[in-house]
Amino acid sequence: MEKFKVIDAKELFAADHESDLIARAKKGDQQAFHQLYEIHHRRIYALCWRMLADKDSAEDVCQEVFVQLWQKINNFRGESKFATWLHSVATNTVLGHLRKQKNWLQRIFSIEDQTMVEASVEMPDQSGLSVLDEKIQQLPERARLVFVLFAVEGYRHEEIAKMLDMAVGSSKSQFHRAKSLLRASLSEQIA
Amino acid sequence: MNKLISEQSLQEQTVQLNKELAPKRDLWLGIEKALATTAQQPVQQKTNVLPMAWAASVVAAVLLSWFSFSPQNELKQTPDNLALMMQQDFEAQKRLVLTSFGQPELKKLPQDMQDQLQELSSARIAIDKALKNDPNNSELLNLLHWTQQQEIDLLKQLYSPKWQTI
Repeated sequence: MEKFKVIDAKELFAADHESDLIARAKKGDQQAFHQLYEIHHRRIYALCWRMLADKDSAEDVCQEVFVQLWQKINNFRGESKFATWLHSVATNTVLGHLRKQKNWLQRIFSIEDQTMVEASVEMPDQSGLSVLDEKIQQLPERARLVFVLFAVEGYRHEEIAKMLDMAVGSSKSQFHRAKSLLRASLSEQIA
Repeated sequence: MNKLISEQSLQEQTVQLNKELAPKRDLWLGIEKALATTAQQPVQQKTNVLPMAWAASVVAAVLLSWFSFSPQNELKQTPDNLALMMQQDFEAQKRLVLTSFGQPELKKLPQDMQDQLQELSSARIAIDKALKNDPNNSELLNLLHWTQQQEIDLLKQLYSPKWQTI
């Protein structure tokens, strides 16, 4: 029981500290904002990298997320956890980036027909990555986005469908597809 | 043929994914540069501007159809009625509010705010006209009171200190 009390106190302190940083950042304090960045940027970068499957784009978009955060931080009213709110800002920024990136070639040749990409994906910091991460990066874009948002980030299919402008059923089927591809790919790896 | 790994195994691996990854380069430097030229958005007040505009539009639409389809198009002039008193009372309140904020020039407000005020004002005028046709209509009197109150509230909201920097 003692152990749980210590953890709770630590969490409470962290939450208080974060609230203080948010309040200061809202007043334009860049040092406080930097501390918020230090706390959250690795998680946001992981989200960007998993959704975008590209190290350079992930770094650029991660920066964009924090610039957007600076602009919009006054909109955070504490109705949800800051991390949850920041993740929604990040997810929207990534999806906006993807929409902008779609060039005419991708519009003509549907990316839905792509199979698992053969080329190796450039990984960020190898220490934190698993084989599954590598396989997720090789998924077709929609299947990857749905898998990351549902299985890794914990969004519901209804939310994902809205974000990706697709039917709920499509989100579920893309998730099923992603799982099948990942299971096949991971099995090959083992064999 | 390889045997597929189980769904459970995939789920376990997913749960174990590292939630945090470190970028190779220092991203803060670029962010810091961008912040130097990026302004923070002001606190978005939970104003009633949008619902008011929506309601004012509905009022205007209802009144437009009222005028279009009403069999009585000749307005009866009844100067000594409740609507007139309400209107006079409203004008006095409005003057008082504007005086308390130092007689600000409404034309200096941002365009969207001017539009909201204009919509409310148009709705109020339309209701007033309708009341001349039917001076004892309690629904119209209530609508007039509501619209007048919204206009006063909006003026108070716009010129209270937190908005004065606009």
